[in-house]
Amino acid sequence: MSMAGTTSLLLEVGCEELPARFLEAAERDLGVGLGAALGLLRPPNGDGRVSTYSTPRRLVAHIPSLYAEVPGTVDEIIGPPVKVAFDKEGKPTRAAESFAAKNNAKVSDLKRVSNAKGEYLALVLPKAGRSALEVLVEALPVVVGGLSFPKSMYWTVKAGPRFARPIRWILALLGEGSEARVVPFEFAGVESGQFTFGHRLAGHEPIRVNNFKCYLNDLRDHLVEANPEVRRKRIREELKVLLAELKLRVVPDDFLESWVVNSTEWPEPLLGSFNPRYLALPREVLIIVMRDHQKYFAAEDEVGSLQPNFVTFLNVVGDPQGVIRQGHERVLAARFADAEFFWQADQKLTLEQRIPMLERVTYQAKLGSYADKVGRMKVLAEKICLELEQTRRMTSEQRQNVLRAIELCKCDLTAQMVREFTDLQGIIGGLYAKVQGESSEVSEAIYDHYSPVSMEDSCPRSVIGAVVSLADKLDSVVSGFSAGIEPTGSSDPFGLRRAGNGIVKIAAERLPGLALDLLPAYASGYSIPVAEQSGLGERVRNFLRERVGYYLREVAKLRYDTTRAVVGSALGWSDPSDAALRGRALEQMIHTDDYRAMSQAAKRTRNILIKSAGDYIAGIQNVRVDLLREPEEEKLHEAFTSMGTRLLDLEKQRDYVVAFRELRAMREPIDSFFDHVLVMTDQPDIRANRLALLNSINAQIFSRLADLSEVESEDPNGDELGARDGAARLKR
Amino acid sequence: MPDDAHRSFVSFQDLLARLSQYWADQDCAIALPYDLEVGAGTMCPETFFRVLGSEAWRVAYIQPSRRPADGRYGENPNRLLKHTQMQVILKPPPADIQEVYLASLTRLGIDLRAHDVRFEEDNWESPTLGAWGIGWQVMLDGLEITQFTYFQQCGGIDLEPISVELTYGLERIAAFLQATSNVFDVRWNRTRTYRDLRFQEELELSVYDFEAAETGTCRQLFDLYEKEAWRLLDAWKETGVEIVSERNRMIGDEPVAKSNDEGACQLTPAWAEPKRFPLRKVFEYCLKCSHLFNILDARGAISVTERVALIGRVRKIACSVAAIDVARKTRSLEAQPA
Repeated sequence: MSMAGTTSLLLEVGCEELPARFLEAAERDLGVGLGAALGLLRPPNGDGRVSTYSTPRRLVAHIPSLYAEVPGTVDEIIGPPVKVAFDKEGKPTRAAESFAAKNNAKVSDLKRVSNAKGEYLALVLPKAGRSALEVLVEALPVVVGGLSFPKSMYWTVKAGPRFARPIRWILALLGEGSEARVVPFEFAGVESGQFTFGHRLAGHEPIRVNNFKCYLNDLRDHLVEANPEVRRKRIREELKVLLAELKLRVVPDDFLESWVVNSTEWPEPLLGSFNPRYLALPREVLIIVMRDHQKYFAAEDEVGSLQPNFVTFLNVVGDPQGVIRQGHERVLAARFADAEFFWQADQKLTLEQRIPMLERVTYQAKLGSYADKVGRMKVLAEKICLELEQTRRMTSEQRQNVLRAIELCKCDLTAQMVREFTDLQGIIGGLYAKVQGESSEVSEAIYDHYSPVSMEDSCPRSVIGAVVSLADKLDSVVSGFSAGIEPTGSSDPFGLRRAGNGIVKIAAERLPGLALDLLPAYASGYSIPVAEQSGLGERVRNFLRERVGYYLREVAKLRYDTTRAVVGSALGWSDPSDAALRGRALEQMIHTDDYRAMSQAAKRTRNILIKSAGDYIAGIQNVRVDLLREPEEEKLHEAFTSMGTRLLDLEKQRDYVVAFRELRAMREPIDSFFDHVLVMTDQPDIRANRLALLNSINAQIFSRLADLSEVESEDPNGDELGARDGAARLKR
Repeated sequence: MPDDAHRSFVSFQDLLARLSQYWADQDCAIALPYDLEVGAGTMCPETFFRVLGSEAWRVAYIQPSRRPADGRYGENPNRLLKHTQMQVILKPPPADIQEVYLASLTRLGIDLRAHDVRFEEDNWESPTLGAWGIGWQVMLDGLEITQFTYFQQCGGIDLEPISVELTYGLERIAAFLQATSNVFDVRWNRTRTYRDLRFQEELELSVYDFEAAETGTCRQLFDLYEKEAWRLLDAWKETGVEIVSERNRMIGDEPVAKSNDEGACQLTPAWAEPKRFPLRKVFEYCLKCSHLFNILDARGAISVTERVALIGRVRKIACSVAAIDVARKTRSLEAQPA
């Protein structure tokens, strides 16, 4: 590729305040979109990399080095070989004529080109080069218009462009210094230009931009730090310094930190305080008021008790007179006064007294009230507890606590505090239970019973809480499926996938050994008839299996193919922690030649068995030694017999690493079996016997711990397509 | 106290006057507060009808707004059953609308350099009106003072051009300007407080909505108003002017409460004529239903499912009204004043 010099690009899309939650993705998408659109202009070295920045009022991309032009290209359309194209006299043949005609050319326009296969007739079409400017004029509006947001708007005309908020200016600068020139284009009624704007408080005059370095510095002079990572660092340091003076530390909060980064152009900390009497309110309430309503960081002392201070980040230079602080303190005091009012009002009725009120709180139109839901949760919990008691993982006293917690756990839905702070459901109930004299086991279980709300969230602390949470989520899924509100495609209005994920996580991390595939049957004790719907149990089981797959990939970080392998194995998915163990053990061996070979053998075995399904079922169930003819099949049978016993041993000890290592001993016998023995022989009894042998090997070895036929030779996580394919297959 | 807001004292009525004057200076017609119970300034005809259609429009008005569920018997320092909004509609919005808005705060005596004003994502929605928009809550030193919305849809109809709707919460702004933490302590003028003018009303309305309201009667009233709305809407069919709302074909599909006075429908009533059709009266009945719904909701008399159904019934009227309004506007069937 010829180089006609290089240039650079600076693009800034100036907007009205973009939602903080969109900013990181929008910045990333701009970089990706631009990089893809300018592929040919970007030198392969690091200089052609797109770096991106953002503030609430701007999305920025910078490419330090771009070719000043895309060189011309030459397209060759290869036609017939020269020896076919011309006859002995050198006249064009029919082949040549028709190739020319097909391409709207004359034979005289065609050229001869040589490649490895020989000399060919070809149509050569030179394509003119284009300057970077020409490319950018076309590409930039497409890139900007291609950004999508979770929620967008139109502001010019209805059919016009959509963006998260209106775009008010566009800086598009090609080259630097005296070379700098605007890439002229129009988007959403805004003409691109050579100007940017500073912080609102730093005046409304446009700032002329000549190069990237000055751009960043000029913005800083105008109270804009365009680099979000610099803002993040500043926020962290300021928090530390500010609180260290008071011997305090911040209650860490990643969500809040990112929110501040993405909602400020110039973050400045402000330390405020509140009346210590509000510290009588529970820590959880204080934090949620400060964090969710006011976006304040809470502060605690060295031993972790909350102090009557908060830190907020302003988007202005400072507050020399303290008026901003006073404003924030007044707002917070009012918020706390509200919370205090709710807390006191709620104490007039205990959770116990609120039980009858649940009959009037609708859970879901077809599924009745929360009183109904609590009844169903009890049915499920009794059976789960019984199962756990039989295996000595729970005592009958703990079962009583589970049932008590279930009785009370939804009562806080009638409390004013929860109506105001819905995210505190469960937590408030737990706190109320504690002050109202319930045992710590019960109040803790109530407190924890919504968790885990995501795969990152932690599980309930105790086995009691785990069972309450499990019963809650299982009921949501079973009764939800029965009412036809199961998730479809991307729609899951009742959050059943999340509930399913919670079930799997609890089973894996708190109640290992609990068989997930038995859970749907526990709902047979429901008094509502929905549980008897035909196929309901099967649908719920399929759903749970899918969720286990999700857990294995997202939490246990298994590959797509290993996930499929363990989920589809004989030991299956029902115990997700065991499935994760098997998957990890398999992954230690999966790269070896032996496993590549065995995976092929397993696939072959499976295919033969599928094709001959009728045959062996009608024939011999167990292998008959007297019908083994060839030495290779005898050897395979021997290997299978000893491996089968050994595998069962290792399986009992759950020593899967050793199991998968020793499994390699099957490679040689199975390979030579396939090399030398014809399975589908004409003799029916011998054929049936061979099929029976393969069937046993398949069941007890190849798909016992993991279905080896699912193992891919290449890591399928490596590319997107593999990943999507994996997900699709798992769903089936 | 070295608070800049104290350099010149701003009473509640000063606030009303200054904001009105500011928006009058921006070419807004200063309309009158609407004389029915509404939950927000958006529900007034000056917003609902004006954002529909293509005609440019600028209007601002003070609007007392009722939210029965927020009633606190006048005891809570911040919550009011009836609060006062300043509603501004700019159609189409100017490109510097944020600056124009911020200048209104300056007019109130707020020094923007000494305070922290933030535009935080908040997308407004009114399910009963089939209306929603994209925008922010404007925060002043942590206090929400304005809802700033790029209106996208009203009565189920995509708007073109869009309008900007600014809704100021005046009690909060007054409390801020006067540096008081209880809105009842806000000075209404030099001699009277907000408490003097409004406390008794807050108390009595709270008592009615939370205790005295008879839910059966409220439901009956809801049904009656709804029925009257549909009696009128059904007559629109007689005009022969077809309406198609973008989302739903509203009129004619299963009217919720049919007029049982079948005889009256035989003849086309004289008022069922496009230019004279009492559409704004239908809208008033829609607002009546909306307010009754709010009272029932505050009483806790509505279950979750019923809630959705009732909201749907109000929205259906609102969307029909919007569809008729747009049909009239696009066919120039509005009456022209003589």
